[in-house]
Amino acid sequence: MIAKDPTTVSEPASINSLPDEVLQHILYYVLPRDALLNIQRVSKRLNGLSSEPLLWRYHCRTQFKYWDSKHRIRQKFLGSVGDVDWKNLYMHRQTVDSQTTALLDSILQDQVNRIKKFNFIAEFGYDAKDTLLRQCQTSENAEDVLARRYYATAVLDHVHRSKALAQWAKLGKGEDIPIEKALGAFDLFVLHDQHGDLLEISDLFDDLHTRLRLEYPDLDRFSTRGKALAVVAFLREHNLTGLESDLAYRDLQNNYIGIALQDQDHPSLPLISVSIYCSLARRLGLDARCCGIPNHVHAMVYPSGYETLDGRSILDRADMEPMYLDPFRSDQEVFIENLRHLLGSWGIRPTDFPRYISASTTSSLVLRTSRNILATVHDFRGHGGNTETTGHPTIRLYANPFADMDNAFYSALWANFMLSSPLARSDISNQRQFIPLILERFERLYPMDASLIEQYICPLFNNPSNAEHWELHEALRVVRAADQSPKQVRLRDTRTAQDRVKYKVGQVFRHRRYAYTAVITGWDIECGMNSDWIAHNHVDALSRGRHQSFYHALVEDTSIRYVAEENVEIIEPELPVSLMSLAGRFFKRWDQERRVFVSNIKDEYPED
Amino acid sequence: MSAPAGQIILLSNDGVQVTVDRLVAERSMLIKNMLEDLGDTALETPVPIPNVNESVLKKVIEWCEHHKNDPPTTVDDDSDSRKKTTDIEEWDQKFMQVDQEMLFEIILASNYLDIKPLLDVGCKTVANMIKGKSPEEIRKTFNITNDFTPEEEEQIRRENEWAEDR
Repeated sequence: MIAKDPTTVSEPASINSLPDEVLQHILYYVLPRDALLNIQRVSKRLNGLSSEPLLWRYHCRTQFKYWDSKHRIRQKFLGSVGDVDWKNLYMHRQTVDSQTTALLDSILQDQVNRIKKFNFIAEFGYDAKDTLLRQCQTSENAEDVLARRYYATAVLDHVHRSKALAQWAKLGKGEDIPIEKALGAFDLFVLHDQHGDLLEISDLFDDLHTRLRLEYPDLDRFSTRGKALAVVAFLREHNLTGLESDLAYRDLQNNYIGIALQDQDHPSLPLISVSIYCSLARRLGLDARCCGIPNHVHAMVYPSGYETLDGRSILDRADMEPMYLDPFRSDQEVFIENLRHLLGSWGIRPTDFPRYISASTTSSLVLRTSRNILATVHDFRGHGGNTETTGHPTIRLYANPFADMDNAFYSALWANFMLSSPLARSDISNQRQFIPLILERFERLYPMDASLIEQYICPLFNNPSNAEHWELHEALRVVRAADQSPKQVRLRDTRTAQDRVKYKVGQVFRHRRYAYTAVITGWDIECGMNSDWIAHNHVDALSRGRHQSFYHALVEDTSIRYVAEENVEIIEPELPVSLMSLAGRFFKRWDQERRVFVSNIKDEYPED
Repeated sequence: MSAPAGQIILLSNDGVQVTVDRLVAERSMLIKNMLEDLGDTALETPVPIPNVNESVLKKVIEWCEHHKNDPPTTVDDDSDSRKKTTDIEEWDQKFMQVDQEMLFEIILASNYLDIKPLLDVGCKTVANMIKGKSPEEIRKTFNITNDFTPEEEEQIRRENEWAEDR
């Protein structure tokens, strides 16, 4: 319908006299919900205008940041607006949003069937990420702030892990995955609600590429060698490679390409420095690869096409040799003679040199990173797990250091499992050694990953008579069964319970002997462990022995322990800082006045 | 008759001449571009504004006067990749407390004169009047005729039902 020209009519101006483009302009300011529920039903004209694809593309673009890869959303945004049913896509996302929210609410409601609910959300993939991020940032004043943030993060972590494993699975099948994505998969295990997802890492490289071109406006006239040196000079000028000091060499954070790009100090091990180099150099069109020299990864740049590195025509084999660089340490070229000398000094025979000075596969870089992570975690545990001590490796990722150490360790196990055996069909023994380690963590920390184990590990065992097959399926069955059965209700309805169990779920205490801080998450009227455990932990040597009440407790290092009442010294801190990011697993919030955590496990301990 | 230095005379469609600072008038992209095209000869005669009557023109000039020192809007503001804010600054809110006829006259005038920030304020004001209203309330508020059959309306309602439980 065409609007009437207001100057030719005598009736007063009204919404009906506005031309279409002005009405559309108004609709951009209207909430999508109002448009769908109300405005579309007002009149045919408004129905037509509020269904315009441009309007819904705008809402899709501005309301959602993350999209599942199945949508190929970047291509859609660049394409012609009429090629996509934008309103439908918007409605799809809105549906995912409300279902994700409802599922999370239900996860918080009680402790039953959580795995299934996690999986429902994970099936939305990245379409759920915006909603989960919003829930991760739940307001401090929310009645269940800790639980909501904890479980939203747990679901998001699971979604991230699914994404990471999908990358490694592709890599394992021989698909060409960019280095930054293959290594960025490690970041996904510790990312939580922070910036640095795979696409964001790619964007950071694109930005670096733009900056590089601004600083070197003549870059396109450089020879390949000139470009290769410009990239290393640029990266080192901006401190994007290397470490502040050798002391920090084993720090866990040096293994993460996303952290290296975003942290203000940009810490990175040689392998990560070289990967950053290659990712940027490839954006310039260089054939840059990683060279797996033992101890210290180098970068190599190959001549492209018919030209040598210096732009002459290629005449013989020597002209096709790559150049070497060490972005971690130097902005100069590293000459091949020096590398040969180095290898010789390690007792490597010259006939073996080609193996070491040739390009590494992306899989082997992932494996090497996983070994670096395992080494750091071992080192760290060896030093008694003190996160503060200097001179020892530090864990400075995004969240609780103990939890992130578990996450990092878990990522390294998976990387090894997914990639350690390129000849997977003929020899899976190498791969198999990681399965019990993964299962142990799955049972203790990541029950929601049952789906990932079914997807990636179970297919290796298709023979039900095999013992390993049986163990694997039994582990999955036990975890799922525990998740599906309602918790046994624990009441304080007997004299013994009333007399013996002095403390309540939610109280914070210091362990009298070990001095750690923990919060009570459950109780027994007497030691409920078997005789082996009792003997091993010298329970009978306690002054009140095994017939005193015992408490389940969540400790600040993320472990769950079982503590005799005589070792519990209740404290009432203003804010138990070290427990705050962990307590959401069992508690809704910290009650500042009563100095206790508010229980979210009333289905198990209704009276606490 | 030519305007005093630095000023310009506008002629409303009901024949009233309004003298205004050139700087103020140039909030209108239409006038600004015209002055750039015609040069100072444009200042020598009153500029007819055929779509706008005196009271509306004065109201629009009042807004331009208050906002004459605002930084120019960048081209980027037009892109639909950034979320548009529905906030309206206090002075503008008061300015827009007019009857509906005047509100739509201002919107039409700002659209014709190409004063984007004023058009934005007008559109936001209307959007705020729509917020949370049922279809029937919207029709009542703006005097819109329902041209759907009950079946058609019901059909749209059903298609979008899912948005309800949010």
